[in-house]
Parts: sequence; structure tokens; C-alpha cells
Amino acid sequence: MILADWLITPFSTNQFMLYALMAGVIVSFTCAIIGTFVVLRGMAFIGDAIAHGVLPGIALALILGIPGIVGAAAGTVVMISGVSLITLKSRLSSDTAIGLLFVGMLALGVIIVSRSTSFSGDLVRILFGEILGVNLQGIIIQSAAAIIVLVVTLACSRPFLLLCFDPEQAQVSGFPERLYHYIMLALIALTIVVSFQTVGTLLVFGMLLAPAGAGALLARRIGGMMAWATIFGILSVYFGLLSSYYLNIAAGAAIVLTAVLIFFIVLIIQNMRSKQVRRLKLHPPHE
Amino acid sequence: MIKKLALTISVLSVIIITLMPGCQSDSATAESSKKSIVVTYSILGSVVKELVGDNANVTVLMPNGADLHGWEPSARDIETVNKADLVVQNGLELEIGLLKTVATAVERGVNVFTASDYITVLTVGEEEFEQEEEEHHSSHNPEAEAGGEHDGDHHHEAGTSDPHLWTDPLAMKRVSAALTNTLKTDLGIDVGLRSENMLIRFNNVNQEIEEMVSEIPAVDRKLVTGHKSMGYFAHRYGFKQIGAIIPSITSQAAVSAADLAALKELIEDNQVKAIFTEIGTSPAVAKSIGQETGVRVIELATHTLPADGSYFTFIRNLTRVIVNGLK
Repeated sequence: MILADWLITPFSTNQFMLYALMAGVIVSFTCAIIGTFVVLRGMAFIGDAIAHGVLPGIALALILGIPGIVGAAAGTVVMISGVSLITLKSRLSSDTAIGLLFVGMLALGVIIVSRSTSFSGDLVRILFGEILGVNLQGIIIQSAAAIIVLVVTLACSRPFLLLCFDPEQAQVSGFPERLYHYIMLALIALTIVVSFQTVGTLLVFGMLLAPAGAGALLARRIGGMMAWATIFGILSVYFGLLSSYYLNIAAGAAIVLTAVLIFFIVLIIQNMRSKQVRRLKLHPPHE
Repeated sequence: MIKKLALTISVLSVIIITLMPGCQSDSATAESSKKSIVVTYSILGSVVKELVGDNANVTVLMPNGADLHGWEPSARDIETVNKADLVVQNGLELEIGLLKTVATAVERGVNVFTASDYITVLTVGEEEFEQEEEEHHSSHNPEAEAGGEHDGDHHHEAGTSDPHLWTDPLAMKRVSAALTNTLKTDLGIDVGLRSENMLIRFNNVNQEIEEMVSEIPAVDRKLVTGHKSMGYFAHRYGFKQIGAIIPSITSQAAVSAADLAALKELIEDNQVKAIFTEIGTSPAVAKSIGQETGVRVIELATHTLPADGSYFTFIRNLTRVIVNGLK
């Protein structure tokens, strides 16, 4: 009884904790779907670049007095089209293009903020978010994004699966591979842009990778990976918030750290199990 | 060809030479003989400007409205500091981004005046403060002045020193009086009459604030702010800093759920009437706490000068917003 009290009271007596948990659960769901694609297709670097690339957009939007979300969206468009332009017009690989735009956009963001006199926030807050300040409107926007992500993923499930598991087959079978690649990028961008007001752009990136990575360790089918990722995401949000409450630490960072810890725990357990399996195979117990 | 090139160069150099003094200012000779004083932030800068008048060129480094706690100098700002005849800073690590720059400037022989050396420094934490009045000069003890590093005769016990000394006009009065001495000894500038006038204005504004504050019963004099920035004001005018959204003297810390839950309880237990947000505070977090406790959220300009650029308007506005918010 006391334990249950300890686990539930922070959320039942504080509205801001409850809202943070709700927003976090929705983010976990969106990130589980998109994160699994990111992990399977090795798109972590472009995800990271988008997470940082939105900075100048958000900073400029806040200075001009337009919603930050519009600026963030503009930032991702510049980021993605810049990367495609460089890879199309040169022989450079996409990670060079991504890295280039990544630092460029980050530097632009820092310059905009440092020269502005009306910027009443700081970069750290954009990067690490304000999950404890989430309001109903934020939760609604977050849910809308989750629904879009779910619907688009279901509609494109076959091409997405091919892109993940058999890119060559995807090319041969003749469906517009590039188009679906961009749809996937757009979904990653949407996930990051929408969550910058809640968990922050850097932390949403952690939520994209860690739970999905742990899920990919456990499941073989993509649906199973996403289910595990959702569970790990929600656990991270819940225990992250709880430790922020009891240990008095920054909430956003606590959530992502929990997610990364869960990943390592899963990795270790998985390794011990597979070692056991191998030992059993090599030295079968005597009958 | 070569002749043409030589001609172009000589014409260009004549143009540049004739234009150069024009770039600097209209009265080049008068300006160049003037001493240059560099002040780190706008609110202190306003006081220095009013005190100095036309006797020297006063430059303010951090733009008005910037978050002082997180500000970093540009290359030109560092040049400005190095070329100054006198640098006026707050101290107590308010200008954390300038610590190195000012320390280097001191090594190069630039005079530094640290405002916090001339006031009674309050500490944040146990709501206690130490008596500490130091009267010495930047030129004699440069190490101790640089970046608010206190050693030797300065001694701080528990708690962190609160740098927001400008929220108390009488503390600023002392700073103004001390700076008058420094101007005379270090720069040879006599601002005697202006200084006396300033002291009167500080006394007057103090009286005004006392009258305004008297409208609020003592039990309601409770402040909840973005970060703990109102310590000196609270101490002078009988307020209590109940809590802050970021319970730190800097705006650079992150919010934890524990702090927020504790603040919510404090607001409810003390029946606080308003939450004052300021530069660097997360507006979203403030709003959600305000909504949950049913308390008004009011923006308070604690680090920013008003449009007319006057310290006295600043401190009057500050008081008015607080008094109206708590009525």
C-alpha cells in the first residue's frame, strides 16, 4: 500500500506531473513507431541533425513573435532539402552533407540568440524542453501528430517494410523508393518538431533511439519491436518523472537517462541469455 | 598600367584618410581626450551614465534585455573591455561570461570597479546576510576586484552571494557614491555636483517605494519569482522571498519535479497572491503552476531597463508591478 502510494501520489496530487506523464506517454508511442524505422534504417545521424537544425528556426520565430512550431518546421525543411541538394549535386556522401548542415544550423541558432535582445529563453530550454510546463494544448498537438504518424505508417506499411529490410528488392520492385524515403524523413521531422515544446528536441531524439534500440534487441518482427519500444518509452517517462520528483533532478534529462539505462539493461540481459544458449548448444547437458 | 594602379591607390588612400576621423565622431578631438568607461550591464550602466554625464564616454556591454546570467562576449566586446580606462562591473559572478575577459583586462592594467564591493552582500538560502563593508580601490587590489573573486579580507560563510543588488536603490546609492571616489582617483574626473544630485534622487525614490509598499499589509508581502532575483528588494522593504520556479540565483538551472511540487505547496500554504516571471524563466512552467494553484502570473522586468533607459523609472515600475500584483 505504501509503495503504491509512493508510486502514484506525485501524479495524483500534482496536475503538472499528470500532464507531463500524459504528454510523455504520447511521445513514447510516436517515437516507438518512428524510432524503430530510424534504428532499422540507420538514420540516427539525420535525426540528430534535424533535432539540432530546428534551433535557428525556433529562435527566429520566437524573436519575430510567430509560433515556435512554424519556425521549427521551416528549419527541418531547410535541413532536409539542404542534405538532399548536396548529395544530389556532389559525389559527397550524405553523412558529410548532414554533418555540414548540422553544425551550420547550430551555429546560426547560437548567433541569432546571442545577437537578439528580445529572446527571452535560452537554447538549453529548446534542446531539453519543458515537460513540466506542458499544457492541454500541447497534449492535443502531440496527440494529433501521433495520429498522423500512425495513419501514414499504416498506409505506407509495405514500402516502409521493404525500405527497412530489403532496400535492393525495393529498388527492383519499381515503387518510388525516394518518395517513401522522404515521407519517412517527413515523419521523423514531424515527431521532432511537435515535441520540441514538451520534451525538447534533443531529448525527443533520445526517445527515438533508446526505446526502439532496446525493442530491436528483443523482437524479430517490426510490430514486436514497436510494441516493446512503446513499453520501454512509457517506463522511461514514468520512472524519469518519478526520479525527478524524489531525487530533485531535471525532469527531461532524467527521462532520457532512464531510457538509455533501460537500453543497456536489455542489452546485458540479452547477451547473458544468448551466451547461455550458446553454452547449452556447445556443451549439451548429459542425459 | 602601373601608373594607373599607383594613382588609384593614392586617390583611395586620400579618401580613406579624409574619411577616417569622420567615421569616429563629429567632434573627434573632444572625444579622443575623453576617458572611456565600460559598464557590463544596462541597469548599472544607466546609473553610471547619469552619474558621469558628459565627463566620459560610457559604453554598456550586454544588450538591454539579454539574459545576464547566460551572456557571452563577442570578440569586439573583449576589445572594448581591453581598451577601457575603467570597467564597471556588478561582481558576485553575475557576469559569469565575462570573468575571464575582465581578469585578463586587469592583468593588462585596466582599472576595474566592482559594485558589490561597496554594499552589504546578502546570501541566498537561509535568508540571513552578513555585514560586509569594504572600502578599497580597484587600483590597489586588482586581484580581489576581478570577477567578484573574494579572498583575504573578503570572507563568505555559508550560502551563495546574491548578485541582484540593483533591486535595492539604497545599495545603488552606495555604489554611486563609491564610484564617485573611484572616478576622481583613477580617472581624475570630478562629478561632485552630479553625485550629490544622484544621492538625493536615490533617497527620494526609496521614500516613494516605501510609500507604495505601505499599501500592502505585511502578511501579504510574499514574493514568488522566476529565479531568486529579488533578495535585496525583499530585504529592504520587508518582503519575503517565498520561493522561485528555479530556486537558484541564476536563470541557468533546469527545473525539477521536486522543486515544482515544493513550490506549489509553498504557494498554497502561504496564500501567495502572484507569481512573477522574469527573463530566462520558462513561461510554460510558470503558467502551469499558476493555473494549478489559481494564482496570477505576472511578468516582472527584473533585469531590463524601461524604454526611457532610467534606473529610477526601472525601480519605480518594478515596485508598481509588485504592489499591483499583491494588492
